[in-house]
Amino acid sequence: MNYALLVMSSPASGACAGTAARFARALLDAGHHIQRVFFMDEGVNCASTLAVFPQDESAPLQAWVELAEQHRIELVLCVTSALRYGILDDGEARRHERPAASIHPSFTISGLGQLVDAVAGSDRLVTFGG
Amino acid sequence: MQTTANNSALVIIRQPPYSGSLARAGIDTALAHAAFERPLEVLFMGDGVLQLLPDQAPESLGRKSLARLLASLPLYGIEQVYADAEAATRYRLDLARAPLAVVPLTASAMGDLLRAHDNLLGF
Amino acid sequence: MLPADAFDREGFLRRLDSWSPEVAEQIAAREQLTLTDAHWEIIALLREYYREFDSSPAMRPLVRYCALKLGSDKGRSIYLMTLFPGSPAKLGSKIAGLPKPANCL
Repeated sequence: MNYALLVMSSPASGACAGTAARFARALLDAGHHIQRVFFMDEGVNCASTLAVFPQDESAPLQAWVELAEQHRIELVLCVTSALRYGILDDGEARRHERPAASIHPSFTISGLGQLVDAVAGSDRLVTFGG
Repeated sequence: MQTTANNSALVIIRQPPYSGSLARAGIDTALAHAAFERPLEVLFMGDGVLQLLPDQAPESLGRKSLARLLASLPLYGIEQVYADAEAATRYRLDLARAPLAVVPLTASAMGDLLRAHDNLLGF
Repeated sequence: MLPADAFDREGFLRRLDSWSPEVAEQIAAREQLTLTDAHWEIIALLREYYREFDSSPAMRPLVRYCALKLGSDKGRSIYLMTLFPGSPAKLGSKIAGLPKPANCL
């Protein structure tokens, strides 16, 4: 089946975002397709290239980056949430006169239309967090 | 597997209006669906029914009024809006005074509604 | 006339309370628009929408609201497009001094 995922939890609070990444991996291992992963609300923190986690904990960012690099999964952030939580790419940092970008390049920032499109184009949407 | 003909989405709002950002995220998602002319229905469930309180005064919190935003849902073409009747009773909420017209649903009717949708967006 | 730094780089007012009809003319001029009575009718409507719903409208609700308040002749996207070319909800809201939309609706 063709899945879309919606992630609304931060990797810094609870296991939900990590579960989403593991679920994505399990879907692919089972032969399913993932249309897109959309990050909204606190979920946009998954894309932070600045967050630092203890070395002996699993690296939440790495799990997503591998999905993007090995399986070309589209990882898209809601722009409204991304701005609110300070997850900016170069363009948004310039546009809002902020000193630096903070998003990992495996992710892109876009609008809620990308979520609407993912809902319309997939057989199932699975939500994590919220 | 049962599939709805129009692939309509159901946005489920379980958050009270001003305790976090998810309440607004749910409404924004509903508006985005409508703005792109995708079919969608909305269910206020559990504590989410508190969004339907009349006479909200969030200005004193420096916040925008979600109740007034909800009142614009019909203009976006969102006509199918439901509310958890048991939760409304628990909070002694008069749904007739809600910022927009809602259809009260019993627990079993909510179950039917969830089963009728392939795409559930929970907030 | 407000100084150039009263507007952000996309031409939206930085402070919403600095809006006045003269400022609307100024924003419109920056967008190469001359405001007629027909424009002012929609600007007033946009400000009324904002007061009523505490939000700036997307295109679809703006069209419906126009139909509701001004009749079906004006509640059509083609009518709004001729007055505010391109993206009427966004351009109209900008001239009416409504908040910059947070998302891409």
